[in-house]
Amino acid sequence: MIITHLNLGILLTRIWRSMVDVRIAGARSSTKPNVSAEISNLVTPGDVITADTGFMRGHGTYMEDEKLYASVAGVVERVNKLICVKPLKTRYNGEIGDVVIGRILEVGTRRWKVDTHAKLDSVLMLSSVNLPGGELRRRSEEDEKMMRHYLKEGDLISAEVQSLFSDGALSLHTRSLKYGKLSQGQLVSISPSLIKRRKTHFHNLPCGASIILGNNGYVWICPTINEEVEQTGGYEQNLEPIQKSDREVIARLRNCVLALAEHKMMLYDTSVLYTFEASLRYSVKETVKPEVMADIIEVAQQRLEREGT
Amino acid sequence: MPTDSRRLTGPEETKSPYAYVKQKKKLQVLTGKRHDGRSPETLRPIFLKADVVSQARGSAYIEQDNTKVMCAVYGPREVGRKEDFSMKGIINCVFKYATFSCRYRRSYQQDSEEKDMSVQLLDALEPAVCMHKFPKAQVDIYVTVLQNDGSALAAAITCASVALANAGVDMYDLVAGCSVRIADNLVLVDPTESEEYKSQDDNPVNHGSVTLGYMPSLYQVSAITSKGEIEFEVIKKAINLCGNTSQTLYPVLQKCLNNSRFSLSLRFSLSLVRYHFCVQF
Amino acid sequence: MVDVQLSDAEKVFILHGVQDNCREDGRGCEDYRHLEIETSVMSNTNGSARVRLANTDILVGVKAELGTPSPEKLNKGRIEFFVDCSANATPEFEGRGGEDLATDISNMLYRAYDCPNCFDLQQLCVIPDQQCWILYVDILLLECGGNLFDATSLAVKAALFNTSIPTVTVTKDEGVVDLEISDDPYDVQRLDMKSSPCIVTLSKVGHSHVVDASQKEECCTLARLIMGVTEKGTITALKKEGSGSLDPTSIEDMMETGRRVGESLNKCLMDALAEEERQGTKKKSLGFLR
Repeated sequence: MIITHLNLGILLTRIWRSMVDVRIAGARSSTKPNVSAEISNLVTPGDVITADTGFMRGHGTYMEDEKLYASVAGVVERVNKLICVKPLKTRYNGEIGDVVIGRILEVGTRRWKVDTHAKLDSVLMLSSVNLPGGELRRRSEEDEKMMRHYLKEGDLISAEVQSLFSDGALSLHTRSLKYGKLSQGQLVSISPSLIKRRKTHFHNLPCGASIILGNNGYVWICPTINEEVEQTGGYEQNLEPIQKSDREVIARLRNCVLALAEHKMMLYDTSVLYTFEASLRYSVKETVKPEVMADIIEVAQQRLEREGT
Repeated sequence: MPTDSRRLTGPEETKSPYAYVKQKKKLQVLTGKRHDGRSPETLRPIFLKADVVSQARGSAYIEQDNTKVMCAVYGPREVGRKEDFSMKGIINCVFKYATFSCRYRRSYQQDSEEKDMSVQLLDALEPAVCMHKFPKAQVDIYVTVLQNDGSALAAAITCASVALANAGVDMYDLVAGCSVRIADNLVLVDPTESEEYKSQDDNPVNHGSVTLGYMPSLYQVSAITSKGEIEFEVIKKAINLCGNTSQTLYPVLQKCLNNSRFSLSLRFSLSLVRYHFCVQF
Repeated sequence: MVDVQLSDAEKVFILHGVQDNCREDGRGCEDYRHLEIETSVMSNTNGSARVRLANTDILVGVKAELGTPSPEKLNKGRIEFFVDCSANATPEFEGRGGEDLATDISNMLYRAYDCPNCFDLQQLCVIPDQQCWILYVDILLLECGGNLFDATSLAVKAALFNTSIPTVTVTKDEGVVDLEISDDPYDVQRLDMKSSPCIVTLSKVGHSHVVDASQKEECCTLARLIMGVTEKGTITALKKEGSGSLDPTSIEDMMETGRRVGESLNKCLMDALAEEERQGTKKKSLGFLR
């Protein structure tokens, strides 16, 4: 009797240990709701937005024969007299003051080239970073030689857009202790137009992880940052193993962010948190399945609407 | 398939006469002894020599009875294409059967089997080479099989690692290659061409071959490939046997390299002697 | 290979995650990502299938043509694999950029299918010594999201399952052999491919190994073991890839895992295919409408 029980135990663990789930594509229910009538201000390139000459031409539009045409597919937005079309999927168009996440591509003379999901590579000048050992340090030649030591190819940073060059390339700075090199965590890349502009983009979520919603569509999820101790610009990295419970929270958050993006929902602290809470009914593994994703999003969406946030 | 018009390729329609010869159905060993009188676990006698191509940085020649392989190593030299830039070195491996080396005539151009062999050879050698020691540079390894009587890949691995060491490329360890043929419950080490696994022979389960590249002083496997349908337990056994056999090859490799260095130092000391003579007279 | 760049800290994060059996999306070390399969997606082929493994997307079309058998296998047909890395997947594949990856994948498929019990080539014989079917299995990589070998082999197996070859009637008239090929779409023969292998790739990350590595995880591995596994658990091909070396004991562990995962992969695939077949014409075909 005991022996058979043991065998069963082994059998069960074996089955549990490996999960392969092969689906037929046709079995997938159409998860996307019909949105045709709801949004009336959708335009495609070449559509006349207005023939009224009283408006100003913004991004995603062009003027011809005194009419305003759309040049991208997206939603028309109007601010006073300015008309823009905001495309659903886009490279990042930087604005001064935006919080972005970037990856170092190249170490140059007195500058780093950074990928920020923008059309052109962004620039981080040696003069606009905090170097280890205090804010008000002069940059010496020594620092120039040590540039690869501070930030090397592949490193991730959080930064703020300082200014725009004439060709549209961004100049970044990390001159605040909240910015700098990022340590352990996960990067998720989504469309920049899904990030809602907020006062702050750094959030310590109550579920036990921190999230940086970069305006450029890069989302950084990491273990909770202790504000007083660890804000050193990221030069001292903690490479100790992270607890499994924290890791599960991070994985769940990642899946939630991707689910929100998949269903074209705006991302901000509340929406992420509500989605996270809605997902708690499922195990982390299950949250990547499309039908679970749809369910979580629906629950979160209802809650958001109910609370009017 | 692009053809090379500069070379004589012969008429396209020819077929080797051996293709029409009736194949022997059974492996000889299943009915008795191996045809060259070896026991299943014995290797063929090995002759290994470094420094055979005078103009290459390093070279080696290996003979396992009728399997004869030659390898030359050039470089490290600067990487030609700029987009291949990397802080680590690059190894380029070319494995080629000489056109006349096999039962069937090979073409001048690398066929897909030879390309596959090149990749496997590269995978076998890469873990053994200190790639960070020659950044931005490339090492070229050319292996030519002069005569193929089975276990060509294993011989090529051994030969190329000796050639690399002979070229003075920094290495963590040497790599010894070994292959076995699995035939039911028999495992034959170092199979000859007639003993090698061929897929067209209608073999049942547990017929196949395994080739291993083994780093004998680190006890690490640097390459492993198999052919044929084999059960898990059987293949495990074969891998172990391969590892153990490769281990026995290690002294041969060491001795060969020592010999080549010895002849080098001998030459060096001879020139010193001559120098002494010069001073005396 | 299509590479992503990671910082050291990200790599450490992934490495420890694998050790804890909790990967970036919460999967365990032996779990596959979401896998979807559909057969009969291309009308001009004898059989076709499309596989999406998370964001890896692979389309396979099988075409059967008549040809003469090669002299060493006179009573057998042939099966040819051809992989095309579409530049749609990544601009790196443009021109000859994807050629190395393509030959790697097709060579692995040749090896995995290269034993008489996995795929019986005699069923492709029409007239011994004279005519046989040659199956051209064309594989198109539409999107690369890691683990291409496994996804490709699944798609190939599904496409072969879906393949039907027109019935050929051979008539001999005074020494003249006549071939009559039926053009009735229902007068066809299916292939026996039950025991064809699936490829399982095991990536060594730190001291553990994972199946179905994502691109980020592939970036953290130095050595991978790629193996062809049949539903019975036999191993039809084995290959180490990458610049690292492996311990003999860890090879054993990886093979054990590979065999176990391969068995269940084969089973799940066949179950899904049988289910799709059972639905028959009632099934909702999705094609490329995603």
